[in-house]
Amino acid sequence: MLSYILRRIVATLPVMAIVALFVFSLLYIAPGDPAVVIAGDQASPEDVERIRQSLGLDRPFLVQFGSWVWRILHGDLGTSIFTNLPVSAMIGQRLGPTLSLMIVTLLLTIVVAVPLGVVAAWKAGSLIDRVIMGFAVFGFSLPVFVVGYMLAYIFALELEWLPVQGYTPLTQGFLPWLENLILPSIALGCVYIALVARITRAAMLEVLQQDYIRTAKAKGLGQGGILFIHALKNAAVPIVTVIGIGIALLIGGAVVTESVFAIPGLGRLTIDAILRRDYPVIQGIVLLFSFVYVLVNLMIDVTYTLVDPRIRY
Amino acid sequence: MDRRTVLKGLAGAGSLALTGGLSAPAIAQGAAARTLRFVPQANLANFDPIWGTQYVVRNAAAMVWDTLYGIDSSFQPQRQMVESEEVTDDGTTWTFKLRPGLKFHDGEPVLSKDVVASLTRWAARDPMGLMIKALQQELTAVDDRTFKWVLKQPFPKMLYALGKNNSPCAFIMPERIAQTDPFKQISEYVGSGPLKFAKSEWVPGAKAVFEKFADYSPRLEKSSWLAGGKQVMVDRVEWVIMPDPATAAAALQNGEIDWWENPIADLVPVLKKNKNISVDIGDPLGNIGSFRMNFLYPPFNDVKARRAVLMALSQEDYMRAIVGDDNSLWKPLPGYFTPDTPLYTEVGGEILKGKRDLDAAKKLLAESGYSGQPVTCLVAQDQPITKAMGDVTADLLKKLGMNVDFVATDWGTVGSRRAQKTPPGQGGWNMFHTWHAGADCVNPAPYTAIRANGDKAWFGWPTSAGTEKEVASWFEGKNLDEEKAAIGRLNKAAIDDVVYAPTGFFLSYTAWRKNVSGVTKGPLPLFWGVSKSA
Repeated sequence: MLSYILRRIVATLPVMAIVALFVFSLLYIAPGDPAVVIAGDQASPEDVERIRQSLGLDRPFLVQFGSWVWRILHGDLGTSIFTNLPVSAMIGQRLGPTLSLMIVTLLLTIVVAVPLGVVAAWKAGSLIDRVIMGFAVFGFSLPVFVVGYMLAYIFALELEWLPVQGYTPLTQGFLPWLENLILPSIALGCVYIALVARITRAAMLEVLQQDYIRTAKAKGLGQGGILFIHALKNAAVPIVTVIGIGIALLIGGAVVTESVFAIPGLGRLTIDAILRRDYPVIQGIVLLFSFVYVLVNLMIDVTYTLVDPRIRY
Repeated sequence: MDRRTVLKGLAGAGSLALTGGLSAPAIAQGAAARTLRFVPQANLANFDPIWGTQYVVRNAAAMVWDTLYGIDSSFQPQRQMVESEEVTDDGTTWTFKLRPGLKFHDGEPVLSKDVVASLTRWAARDPMGLMIKALQQELTAVDDRTFKWVLKQPFPKMLYALGKNNSPCAFIMPERIAQTDPFKQISEYVGSGPLKFAKSEWVPGAKAVFEKFADYSPRLEKSSWLAGGKQVMVDRVEWVIMPDPATAAAALQNGEIDWWENPIADLVPVLKKNKNISVDIGDPLGNIGSFRMNFLYPPFNDVKARRAVLMALSQEDYMRAIVGDDNSLWKPLPGYFTPDTPLYTEVGGEILKGKRDLDAAKKLLAESGYSGQPVTCLVAQDQPITKAMGDVTADLLKKLGMNVDFVATDWGTVGSRRAQKTPPGQGGWNMFHTWHAGADCVNPAPYTAIRANGDKAWFGWPTSAGTEKEVASWFEGKNLDEEKAAIGRLNKAAIDDVVYAPTGFFLSYTAWRKNVSGVTKGPLPLFWGVSKSA
């Protein structure tokens, strides 16, 4: 297993290299110019050109790419064109809020979606099943920002239970931290809960028709034991896969959620960097996200061996 | 249901539901009253007011760095860091003396050498600074508090240049910082103004914090815009960046923020209904909407085609698209200068007045030789103002019988594409939309968009000898009457040649909670004199 993990980690290197080349090329050919944004609306074309030169943006593609790769190999993500701060420091500032949002959303999803999916499969065709699946369709259909605004209206403005916006670091206390994350996590988690609940239901339905389930029932095993010990474990592989894939959904959704709830996370940093054409920041974030995604896939593969002993690498 | 409807509903519902202050802030009541939480118009992405000339940077910098002079609400430069000045009879040698007791935020005294370095860096980037630099013989420190600017020719607008509030302002920094290449960004933010920048708390895109500078020595006069005594009444000013207007509206209603610089027009009615919130015009100088036509290529290389567009356009259509039904927020603008300012004029603006004559405009367009070629119209969709104007323009051009190549894109792309001088079909363009802060349009000094010196002019590269002649006349003007006369002629020449198309004058609101007092109207948010009760 250890050698498999090491091989997979080594295999991520070419993937990261391709991502790096792709991102750099895409930004190079994309329209827009950070020098124009920096110079402001009243700047002359000469001023813009001077700024472009000072940023090194007038150099040939290969020279720019080469120096960027050289820095990356030395662990330096570069410096933001706009803030003059190291990209790694800017990402570091924003990592906490985004990680907090994703962890709370992930936990919320697993706690809510998996039992809902199991119950829907168990009561397949009943009113309960229809209600749960109706909720899933609803969750899929509503954009994150609509859910966000509704939640903010009900729980922040109307009931005055929670704040509208912002983020409190965990170091300032668990409850203040959680208080700021509840609404964004529910808003972000809606689509995710719907997805995982549907997949859980489908996987469970298939498993529940297997002979060994019938045998378990015949042996007089309790419903809870059948569902959560025998069936769920065997249905876990597709569920784990979807939870993993869903992390990409979370990354995308975090961009909108962080804007709606004014959370200073990586999603907002990404949007700001794209709108300003802050190339080093965009490149750093995309590299980070792609690395996280590769890592999540590896973790999913490793998790398969835990939920299904037949899988060996 | 679209995003705009949802956010309007949310904010509206909130205004009915709320009575104020909840979701206990993390800071204690006393400390909360000493902290002013402000939502600025945009993200403070960099903090070098000479290198980056965006308004949001200028606004933050005005708290941190002081200027030698400050323009007051009557557009007159008043002494700020300067105690006295002398100019020789021939107008070529200016000698300035600094006030005693001025200190930088690191405790060091402000000296003439700092001023010389700061003015040198500023003059390399500012349009007026460049003009002075072109006339400069020497700029030297005479002693610690005295410095001298010797010119080859008189420059009557010297004090205006040193005190103007248009970006970049002539902010005074320590010499070691001001010696940075003006095309490179500074990395140390030691200021000379009433508030210190807390760099350690800066999260670009999320938060910027400014703390009261205890050793700042304000002038004794009453404050007026950038002039007078800048008395800071709170300990901290926290800028909270909120990209989503609905969130900002809800946070203001909820008491999570104290002052929102620039609420969008859609949300103003619900904010006005909230008894805990005051809403008023923020910047009385407002903005001038505009679209520019490319003088280099057909059809707009012909003045008849440009005049045809001007003849047909309805400023009311543009303004209603931007500000909605609130008539107090816009004015027609038959000219190029900011209304209700000393030099405002309508001379030569007849083509923009009265009933629109589409038939005459079509006839004029035909005379220009327009034969149906595509007109590439750049419209940034991520800026509500340009998007609204772009939609109106597309409709206008179609009514004129023009073949519109509508390029819906983002502001970043417009920003770089408008600099392209290639033909429209090869990456260039025929028209793009923008707007100008009214503060930049009070006179020709900061008004880059009015310049019509061809290749050296702003995007669109207009050529108008008459306009350029009158810009020079204004600079030479010795009194207000001479300046007014020059501006009248300038306005006429610029309209005759259609340097650009003004789409109207519009204002916007600012909103703050009623426990905040001292908010004043100005070309930028002014934090001195603003206090907050618990």
